[in-house]
Amino acid sequence: MIQTILDALSYGGIYGLAALGIGLVFGVMRLVNFAHGELIAIGAYLLIVTIDLGLPLSILIAVTGTAILALLMEFGVFKRLRLAGPAVLLIASFGVSVFLQRFYEIIFGALPLSGQIAPWMAGVIEFGDTTITRGSVVTIILALVLLSAMWFFIEKTTLGLQIRAASSDFQTARLLGVRSNRVIGAAFVFSGVLAAAVAFVLVTQRGSVDPLFGVNITILALVGTVIGGLGSLQGAALGGFAVGATISLLNSFLGNYRVYTYTWLFILVIIVLLVRPGGLISNKAVKERV
Amino acid sequence: MSDDLLRSNQLPGVTRFKWQQLLGPIVVVVALSYVVSGISVTFTFLTEGTLALLVMVLGLQVFIGNSGVLSFGQSAFAMVGGFATGLLTVPVKIKENVLDELWEPLKAINMGIWPSLVIAVVIGAFFAFLTGLFLMRLSGLAAGIATFALLMVADNVFFNWRLIGPGPQVMPQVPKFSFVDESIILAVIVMVVVYLIGISRRGRLLRATREDPLAARALGASVWRLRVLFFTVSGGIAALSGAMYAHHSGAVSARDFYLGFTFTTLAMLVIGGATSMWGAVVGTIAVTVIGQILLEFESGVTIGGLEITLPNGVRGLVIAAALVAILIWRPKGLTGGREFSLRLPFLSRP
Repeated sequence: MIQTILDALSYGGIYGLAALGIGLVFGVMRLVNFAHGELIAIGAYLLIVTIDLGLPLSILIAVTGTAILALLMEFGVFKRLRLAGPAVLLIASFGVSVFLQRFYEIIFGALPLSGQIAPWMAGVIEFGDTTITRGSVVTIILALVLLSAMWFFIEKTTLGLQIRAASSDFQTARLLGVRSNRVIGAAFVFSGVLAAAVAFVLVTQRGSVDPLFGVNITILALVGTVIGGLGSLQGAALGGFAVGATISLLNSFLGNYRVYTYTWLFILVIIVLLVRPGGLISNKAVKERV
Repeated sequence: MSDDLLRSNQLPGVTRFKWQQLLGPIVVVVALSYVVSGISVTFTFLTEGTLALLVMVLGLQVFIGNSGVLSFGQSAFAMVGGFATGLLTVPVKIKENVLDELWEPLKAINMGIWPSLVIAVVIGAFFAFLTGLFLMRLSGLAAGIATFALLMVADNVFFNWRLIGPGPQVMPQVPKFSFVDESIILAVIVMVVVYLIGISRRGRLLRATREDPLAARALGASVWRLRVLFFTVSGGIAALSGAMYAHHSGAVSARDFYLGFTFTTLAMLVIGGATSMWGAVVGTIAVTVIGQILLEFESGVTIGGLEITLPNGVRGLVIAAALVAILIWRPKGLTGGREFSLRLPFLSRP
C-alpha cells in the first residue's frame, strides 16, 4: 500500500518534471514541443556513454549536453519560425523529433544501449514490515528539489519574472523591455536541464536507452501540460503530476484491464479539452473555440 | 492567430472548376503509376502502397487544407478502415485458427474486396462523424491535441481488444488486389471527390472560415457544421486508405497506422502544400521518390567504382529535415498551395 502511494508520487513527480519542461517553452512561445522526448533521450544516451567517468561527471555532461541540444533546436529551427502559428510549430517539432530519433539511430544504433547508472537505486529500504524501493524515494526527493528550485527561479529571480511575464502576454512583455530571444533561450535551457533530470530517473529504472526512449513520457507529459493548462507553469507541473499519479494508480487498480489505462486517460483528456479548451488552470491567451 | 501553412495565397482559394486543375494531377498520377509499376513486381508493390498513401494524404488535405485545423485523428480512421476490411474479407477458416478470441458474428462474415471497401468507408466516415460532433468544437492547438488523443485511444483499443481484431498481432491473409489498376481507380475517384468537394459551395465556405472565422460566420456559415461535414468525408477517405493498405500488403495491424504513418502522411501533405489537391499529389510523389532513392543508398549503391552505403535511418532523417526546411523556407509547400497549372507549376514564387 505504501509502495503504491510512493510509486504514484514518484511517477507523478517525474511526469511533473517533464510537463514543466514542456510548459516552460510553451509559455514563452506557444510551442508544444514534441521533441522534448529527444532531449530526454540524449540525456540518457550521454549518461550511459559516459558513466565510466564516474557518476557526478557523467551527470554534468548529460545536463550540459541536453541544455546545448535544447539551445540548438531553438537556434536551428524554432527561432526561424517566430511568426508561425502554434499548429505550424507543433508540426515542426514533430519533424525535429523524428529527425533526432533517426539521428540517434545512425549514431548509437537502433538497438537499446544498456548500462548501469546508479545501481544502488534498485535496492530496498525496510521499515518494519514494509519495504520500499530506494528509486522511488530518490525520485520523489529529486522531483521535490527540482520543482522547488524551479519555483524559486520563476518566482524570485528577474529572469523568472520575465519568463512569467512573457508567458502571460508575450507582446506586452516585449514592449515593456523584456528581451524576447533571451527569455526564450533561457526557457529552452531550463527545459533541457529538466529533461536531463527526467532522463536520469528513467534510465536508472530501465537500464537501457533506444532512439524512441523519450517518446512515451513526452506524449503523456504533453497531455499533462494540456490538462493542467497550457501557458500556466504551475498548471503544467500539476497536470503532469496528475497524469503520472493517475497512470500509476490505474495500473495498480485496473488489474487485468490495465492495458486500457491509456484509453481512459486519453478519453479524459478529450473531455477536459472540450469542457475547458484552455486547460484546468486556464490562460486566456490560448483559448480558441468555435 | 494565422497559420501560414494553412493559408492559401490565392485568396480565397480555387473557386471555379477548371478542367486542367482536375485532369492535370489525374494524368500525372495515372501515367506515373503505370510507368513505375511496369518496371518490376517490386515496383508494382511500391506503386500500390504509394497510392494507398496518396489517398490518405488526400483525406488529410480535404480536412486540414480546407478548414485550416490541424488533425492527427485521421490515422485512427485509417486503422478503422484497415481493420474493418480485414475482418470482412479474411477467410472464415483463418479467422477461426488465428483470431480465436474474435466476436462470434464477426468470425462468420466473409465477402469480396469491393463490397468490403464500401462498408469500410461507411464505418470510417461514421466514426469520424461521431467523434467530429465533439472534436470539431475545438480549434487551433486544442484541436491538434484532442485529435492526437483520439489517435492514442484508437491505437490502445485496437492494440488490445481481441474481440474486434488480432490485438498486438497481425491480421494475416487479407486478400490482395489482383492488379495495380484497382488502386489507381480508387485513387482517381478520391482525387475527383476531393477536388469537387473543395470547390463546392461548402468547400469555399469552409475555406472562408479558415481565412476569417468571424467574417464567415457573419455570412451565415456554421463553422462547426462545415467542419463536421469535412471531417466525416476525410474520415471516410482515410478509412479507404487503410483498407487499400490492407489489401496491398495482405495483412494489417494496429501499429501500421501509428506515429510513423501519421508522421509520413502529414509530412507529405506539408511538403507538397496543404491547401491544394495538387499539393497532396506532389508531396506524396516527392517524399516517395526521395525515400526510395535513399533506401537504395541504404542498401548500397556503386557510383563510378565507389561504393556508397548510407546507414539505416538516413531516410527518415532526410524526410524529417525536408519537412522542417519546407516549414521554414517555403511554408506553403512545393506547390505554393496552388492547384495544378500548366504555367510553371513549381517555380512561381508565392
